[in-house]
Amino acid sequence: MNILVFIKQVADTEARIIIKNDQKSLEIENKFNMNFFDEFAVEAAIKTKEKFKDSQITVCTYGPKRAIEALRTAIAMGADRAFLIDNTGLETDDSLIVAKILAAFAKKEGFDLILCGRQAIDDENANVGVMVAEMLGIPHASAVISFEVVDGKIVKIDTEVEGGKETVEVQLPALFTTQKGLNTPRVPLITGVMKAMKAVIPTVDPTTLGLTKEDIDLSASGIEIVSLDPPQQRPPVKIIEGETPEEKVRNLVRALKEEAKAL
Amino acid sequence: MNFSLSEEQEFFKKTIADTVDRMIVPKAQEIDEKDEFPWDLWRDFTGLGYIGLRYPEEIGGMNADKVMCMTFYEEIARGSVGFAQSAIMNILMGTYFIFRFGSESIKERCLYPAMRGEKVSTMCFTEDQSGSDLGATRTTVVKDGDGWRINGTKMWITNGPICDFCTVLATTDPSKGLKALNFFLVEKGTPGFSSGQVLNKLGCRGTVTGELVFDNVWVPNENLLGQELGKGVIYVGEILDEVRLMTGAMALGIARGAYAEAMEFAKKRVAFGQPIGNFQLIREKFAEMDTLMNAARLMIYYGAWLLENGMDSRIIAAEAKMYATEVCLKVVDELTRIYGANAFAYEYSPQRYFRDARFLLYGGGTHEVLRDFIGRTLIGKL
Repeated sequence: MNILVFIKQVADTEARIIIKNDQKSLEIENKFNMNFFDEFAVEAAIKTKEKFKDSQITVCTYGPKRAIEALRTAIAMGADRAFLIDNTGLETDDSLIVAKILAAFAKKEGFDLILCGRQAIDDENANVGVMVAEMLGIPHASAVISFEVVDGKIVKIDTEVEGGKETVEVQLPALFTTQKGLNTPRVPLITGVMKAMKAVIPTVDPTTLGLTKEDIDLSASGIEIVSLDPPQQRPPVKIIEGETPEEKVRNLVRALKEEAKAL
Repeated sequence: MNFSLSEEQEFFKKTIADTVDRMIVPKAQEIDEKDEFPWDLWRDFTGLGYIGLRYPEEIGGMNADKVMCMTFYEEIARGSVGFAQSAIMNILMGTYFIFRFGSESIKERCLYPAMRGEKVSTMCFTEDQSGSDLGATRTTVVKDGDGWRINGTKMWITNGPICDFCTVLATTDPSKGLKALNFFLVEKGTPGFSSGQVLNKLGCRGTVTGELVFDNVWVPNENLLGQELGKGVIYVGEILDEVRLMTGAMALGIARGAYAEAMEFAKKRVAFGQPIGNFQLIREKFAEMDTLMNAARLMIYYGAWLLENGMDSRIIAAEAKMYATEVCLKVVDELTRIYGANAFAYEYSPQRYFRDARFLLYGGGTHEVLRDFIGRTLIGKL
């Protein structure tokens, strides 16, 4: 089985992030990781390969050169090979363009199954996976919490629905986006780390995927960032004082009425 | 001059940091509180293969260079010093002499299982009356038939009470000091070999440390680890710089963990209507800590680079161990000041960093011994 996994390298949740003076771009401390939700996709791919041993796992990202590190992490976990589609000079926040490029890569490489995280934790768009499926004309299911390739042709998955879960069977080829809870991404073995350190990761020019520069550069995007603002500072926590529980409750009710005006 | 890590080294550093964050950091407080050897974590972590870090790939190791080794020592100590002590003993001192001098059958029995984490190893230098002063070793060894007979007691042995085998330092003649020292392999189950008192330590809890007793222990000739008699101290010299740099890297790891706790607290804790990180006297502490840690880092990794490239690293290794440990002591002290009274409560982590840091004062040479060594080496014989 030919398994493709699309990942994204995102800023670490503890990285210092500053909005630049132009109010439209970010200065990010040099701390990056594989996107949290993509780790579940890589793990699901590896588990599938453990069941169907002749599978090949190819991991790919559209990103800057530093994203090779995230690709190496996927190889350390157990992926067979990786490709960086280099976005140098073509950086975009437009999910549609990213999806076009990844879909073009998938067409070129061929696939039976595509996995990716349900969303990136930086822009939180949750668009790319479903767009790629649409462009490739294949079925997809989003935010899967259970995933099993049954016989090489059918995938049985669970997704969360309001108040419960839904079980669905999907015919391959198909695309699935992965949700927290699907699995526990493995910690790489030292043998995997060594393989990843030595791995040669080819860089792909996006314009060699059957797309022109005009298809994917900034002018192709219908989206423009107008401004970025930091989240509002939360007011400090107020601890309700009181000698006894009863007094604390009285003071809490008073604060809710008089200060918060919630009652 | 190039201070950057290679892409491979950067990747290794990130991978080991992530591994420590996922597997060790969440258990650090529990390891300290229980003060029991964390067998489950040991099995999970050693199962990844890191105990073979510095050994060749042909025997299942990683063949990591010295810079990568320092990265590993630093990160694992950042997670839990209690756990790091045990793991590093297996990675470096506990297995080195077996790797260097052991016969293939000894390696099959001891080294390879230790690299897989299936056996726990240790090295025994220290006695109740000697530590940095190796020449004062009182554990004796005498030739007896086709082997050697060992008598003595070792103290402060990391992993001692749980070890499956140990490399023990013994003298053929106590009157000859450093010139009569030799290493021997002693395996669990050998008659006369037993563990004695388990120490109740201030810090590095979770590592089981204690006494090992050698009461008329007989071992065959092949258990003599060394090509020549009386060269033990020379063989120690082969890893002494790495041990000192490793101790410095562990100190830096603890300091980084403590610094991160202090930073998080300074950003969140509100006093006089604003986060305390806004106050100049708190900012000064971070400026000082960061400066000191950067200096320590440069010394450790410069030493590792010298060592890796076969250059003389004796002085810088001693200086880096001493300096990084003193920096660590300063940083954990500042953490307890920034944290305020909660740092004095067992419920919070600062007291753990504060206690753990003290242990590094002694391993790899006390700072009094190191200062004397550095000064003596610099001035030379007058």
